Amino acid sequence: MSSSDTPTRTLAPPPEPVRDDPERPSDEQLLAARPVPLRRPGRWLTALTLLVLLAMFGHTVLTNPRFQWSVVGDFFLSGSILRGLALTLWLTAAVMASGYLLGIGVAAMRLSRNPVLVSGSFGFVWLLRSVPPLVQLLFWYELASLYPQLSLGIPFGREFVTVRTAHLFSGLLAAYVGLSLDVAAFSSEIVRGGILSVDPGQTEAAQALGLGPVRIFRRIVLPQAMPSIVPASGNLLIGMLKATSIVSVIAVQDLLYSTQLVYNQNFLIIPLLLVATLWYVILTTLLSIGQFFVERHFTRGGRRRDEQGLWRTLRSNAPLLGRASAVDRAGLAGLS
Amino acid sequence: MTGDVTGGPLVRIRGLRKSFGSQPVLDGVDLDIRRGEVTVLLGPSGSGKSTLLRSINHLERPDAGFVEVGGELVGYRYQGGRLRELGQRAITRQRARVGMVFQQFNLFPHLTVLDNLVEAPVAVHGRPRSGAEAKARELLDRVGLGGREGAFPRQLSGGQQQRVAIARALAMEPQLLLFDEPTSALDPELVGEVLAVMKDLAESGMTMLVVTHEIGFAREVADTVVFLDGGRIVESGSPAEVLTRPRHERSRAFLAAVL
Repeated sequence: MSSSDTPTRTLAPPPEPVRDDPERPSDEQLLAARPVPLRRPGRWLTALTLLVLLAMFGHTVLTNPRFQWSVVGDFFLSGSILRGLALTLWLTAAVMASGYLLGIGVAAMRLSRNPVLVSGSFGFVWLLRSVPPLVQLLFWYELASLYPQLSLGIPFGREFVTVRTAHLFSGLLAAYVGLSLDVAAFSSEIVRGGILSVDPGQTEAAQALGLGPVRIFRRIVLPQAMPSIVPASGNLLIGMLKATSIVSVIAVQDLLYSTQLVYNQNFLIIPLLLVATLWYVILTTLLSIGQFFVERHFTRGGRRRDEQGLWRTLRSNAPLLGRASAVDRAGLAGLS
Repeated sequence: MTGDVTGGPLVRIRGLRKSFGSQPVLDGVDLDIRRGEVTVLLGPSGSGKSTLLRSINHLERPDAGFVEVGGELVGYRYQGGRLRELGQRAITRQRARVGMVFQQFNLFPHLTVLDNLVEAPVAVHGRPRSGAEAKARELLDRVGLGGREGAFPRQLSGGQQQRVAIARALAMEPQLLLFDEPTSALDPELVGEVLAVMKDLAESGMTMLVVTHEIGFAREVADTVVFLDGGRIVESGSPAEVLTRPRHERSRAFLAAVL
C-alpha cells in the first residue's frame, strides 16, 4: 500500500512501523504455532448421514428374512440359471462382435468421400438410434407379419430363392439381429469420433513417407484412435450385457428369463431376482477390470497413468478403501 | 522413368495453378530445382509456399500445370491429351522418393523413436527389420540423437523431435527433401540445433526445398532464394541478389519487415 514518487523500482514495499499492540504475537510465537485448517462441519454431517443410511441398508439386507439369502444360495449355481448365464454371455459376445464389425463399416462409410455412402451411413445411425432396442426386437420377431416371405433375385424383377419368414426369425435370431444393429449404430459413432480425434498431420506424414492407406489406418491412425474408442466401447459392452435382458420379453432363455421361469413356478421372486442381479454385478465387475487393462495397454507413448496399477486406481475412485493421494484422485480412471 | 536427363533439374514445375474455392493460392508457378542444390522459398503467409511444397508430393492436387520429379510426372500420366490421376500404389511409390519435414514434426506418438524411423523402410521398401534398425541408429547418430531410440516422441524436446523427423525422412533415402517451416514451432533456443542438422545435410549434397523465415539460414546455406507472393514467383536468384539487392518492391517490403 505504499505509493511513492521515487523513480527507482522497489521490489518490496518499505517495512511498516511495528505497532505497539500488546495483542500482536511475536514472530517466534507465529513460527511455533501449528496451522489449523478451516473446520467443515457440513462435510462431517453429510458423511455421517450417508454412513447411517448405508448401515441401515446393510442391516436390512442382512436381517430382512424376505430376502431369503439361503434360497439365493440354492439357485445361484443351479443348472438352468447357469445355462441362462451362458446364453447371456455368448449373445452379448456375438452381438458385440458383429455389431462392431458392422459399426466399423458404417463409420468408414461416413468418413468416405462418396456422398451416397455418407448419407446412407447417416440415415442408418439416425434410424437405429431413434428406435428403442425393445421395439426393434419386436419388429424383427414379428417380421413374418410384415413380410410373409423373403426372396433373392433381381431388384424389382425375377426371384430365384424364396423363404418363408415364419421359419426364419426365432426369438434368438431376432434378438441377435436387433441388438447387433443397435450396437452397430452406436459403435460406428464411437469409432468415427476416435478416428476424427487423430491429428490429420499424422496421416499426412505417413502419406509423405509413402505408406499405403491400409497400412496408415492399421499402424498409424487406429492405434491413436484406440485410447478414445476403448472407454466408450467398454461402456457399450457393459450396457449391452445388461440390455440383453430385454430378450426375456420374446421368451429367449437368457439369465433373467431363466430366473423368471423358476420364480413363476415357486413364487420366490425376490431371491431369484437377486440371483440374476448378483450375476450381472459379477460380470460387470469382471468387464470393468478387463477394460482397465485394455485401456492401460493403449495409453502408450509416455502419457500419464502409464504405470498406475489396478489397486491404486480403485483406491483413487473409492478412497474409503484406503488412503489415496490428491494426485491419484485427479486422474479418475475407468473404474466408475 | 522417362526422359530423365542427367544434369537436368531434379524437379521441374510448370504453370502450376491451384485455388481453394474462389481464392487462387498458386497462380502459374514455374520453378526448377537442380540436383544437390538448396532452394529456400520465402514469402508472406498465404503466399502459397506450403501449397507449392505439398504439390511436389501430390498431397495437393493442382488445378492446372504439372510437377516432374526425376523426369517423371507426379501424380498423373499423360494419355490422349489428358492428365489422368495415377492409382494409389503409383502415387505411394512416388511419394517414397521425396522426404518431407513438417512444421509440427508429426512424429507418430505411439511409436518409439526407432520405430518411427523403421516403419516406412520396412513397409514400403520391404527392408529386413534388422537392417532398417541399423540404418536408423546410424541416422540418429548423425542428427545427434544416438542412444535415444527407445524414447517416445513426447519425452523429447521440440528440437529433438524435429531432428528425429528429419532422420525419419532420411531413412527412406529420398532424392529430395521438402521442409515446411521446420523451425516455426520451436522455442527460439532450439532453432539452432535443427538448422545445424539441415546445414550439415545441405553440405552432404542433399537436394532440399525449404520454406522458412530464417533469413540467416537462407543467406548462409541456400543456392537459390525464391520469393513468392500472391501465388506467383516475384523474384528468384542467388541469396546475394535476392536478399541484399531485391529488385521487386514486394520482396523489399517483406525483407524489411522480417530482418
